[in-house]
Amino acid sequence: MDFAFSYIVLALIYILLGLSTNLLVGIVGIFSLSQAAVFGVGAYIVANLTMMSAPLPFFVALAVAGLACLVLNILSTLPSLRVSGHYFVVTSFGIQLLASAIFENWTAGTGGQNGMPGIPAPSLFGAELYTPLAFVSIVLPAVALGCLVFWLVLRSPFGRLLRAIREDELAVASVGKQVLAAKVAAAALAGAFAGVAGGLFAAFMSFIDPTSFNLDASVLLLSMVVIGGARTLLGSIVGPPIVLALPQIITLIDLPTTVAAPMRQLVYGVILIAFMLFRSQGLFGERL
Amino acid sequence: MSYLEVSAVNVSFGGLRALNDCNFTIEAGKITCLVGPNGAGKTTIFNVITGFLRADTGAVSFRGEKLAGLSPQEIVDLGIARSFQNLRLFSQLTALDNVLIGIRGQFGETIFGAVLRPFHTVKTQRAERARAMEILEHVGLAAKAGTFVRNLSYGEQKLLTVARLLATGADLLLLDEPASGMSADALEEIIALLKRLKGENKTLLVVEHNTRVVQRIADTVLFLHQGHLMAEGSVEEITSNPALTEIYFGGTI
Repeated sequence: MDFAFSYIVLALIYILLGLSTNLLVGIVGIFSLSQAAVFGVGAYIVANLTMMSAPLPFFVALAVAGLACLVLNILSTLPSLRVSGHYFVVTSFGIQLLASAIFENWTAGTGGQNGMPGIPAPSLFGAELYTPLAFVSIVLPAVALGCLVFWLVLRSPFGRLLRAIREDELAVASVGKQVLAAKVAAAALAGAFAGVAGGLFAAFMSFIDPTSFNLDASVLLLSMVVIGGARTLLGSIVGPPIVLALPQIITLIDLPTTVAAPMRQLVYGVILIAFMLFRSQGLFGERL
Repeated sequence: MSYLEVSAVNVSFGGLRALNDCNFTIEAGKITCLVGPNGAGKTTIFNVITGFLRADTGAVSFRGEKLAGLSPQEIVDLGIARSFQNLRLFSQLTALDNVLIGIRGQFGETIFGAVLRPFHTVKTQRAERARAMEILEHVGLAAKAGTFVRNLSYGEQKLLTVARLLATGADLLLLDEPASGMSADALEEIIALLKRLKGENKTLLVVEHNTRVVQRIADTVLFLHQGHLMAEGSVEEITSNPALTEIYFGGTI
């Protein structure tokens, strides 16, 4: 039972991350390969703030992580305002590598390769949330709020402006709209989502290390959005649980362990390629 | 004071002088057509007026106000908006949404309005939609409001670019080849629309190649050649000048 709830909590956290990625990549069209880096900063901030000699309460630490990542994401997407399209992909790739190097080597702040164990579980009204089921009680409202905000943005004039910007920035500027301000606002929101997701992840796992926040993780996030579907709320909600469940589903195929591991990667790769070839809009999304 | 005054504007791209001491003025409430062979600098002067391109030297002023250093957004604020030769519509949005993008000062177009006051946003959007529908009706596209741009005919798309411009509320509209590539019927529609806009106190500066269209809409014709204003006058004056027709229809100058 705990295993099922663990899966649900992780899936919820990744839905929040999916919303963040979908906002940035799907709606505004800032194709970022560094979303996992922002996620990681949120996680390390909460880990550090709740493990200090005078620890901050979890929810205060979570708010700090959200705010810090809001600012960080504005800074990390700023290059996209100067370099566009494919060039920004390379820029964000660089940002991700930079972040990974820091996560792996700044031992005092991140524990380096060994990671940070013993992150305390958050407490709510005096009760410590040790079990995955109890953790659902804080993750679910956070994700629900994230979905509401995402939905409001999507259907508002602000969302319409972001879609227009994704298609043609110059045309948006030509009718007198502020392209820069809209892009910065969207990046800020996406950053806050990723930071909060990171904080929740750290508290839930109680142990974090750089492998959760590396380039692979960024690519995994992108594939969640692509498989679920870009630019829709439903796509953001459906993608992460499916991608997270895939490795488990593949283990159901009865294979010797020496064959199973490479087979899993193989099946995973084939699924991604098949989606791009035959259903590039994902399950419930629009074409990127 | 002229309505729009372009004085001594020079623009070079590397060794190419796109605009060479370009001078002209246009009058309020008139349709001025900008003609000239390919490469004469017609689109370049549009880019300079609307803030997409900075002139090397020279100045543009609108209602007496200098435009130098203003961003495209600030220039729209002053009341100048432009269309593009390649339309640049938002193909994945509906016709109505394309017009709505043009309407300025909408509540809920910032993240705070959209997220913190969703009900007020919905309420005000009703009025904005009604306004956008009026504009679509005005250009004859009301029946296509919910159609995605990619499913509109080329003629309809051209009308929609004018609708998006009208949504900005600008008084001076710069239209880059609004009639090119259109069928005979669609041509009549756009000519009627441009004349109607003039009657509604809009001022139009139109780049147009089709001389028959120019004959029917232009109050004044500006003839641009190699980035310089070569002649200015009525349609008859321009078309009866053999030197100009020589340049325009394949001379060797």
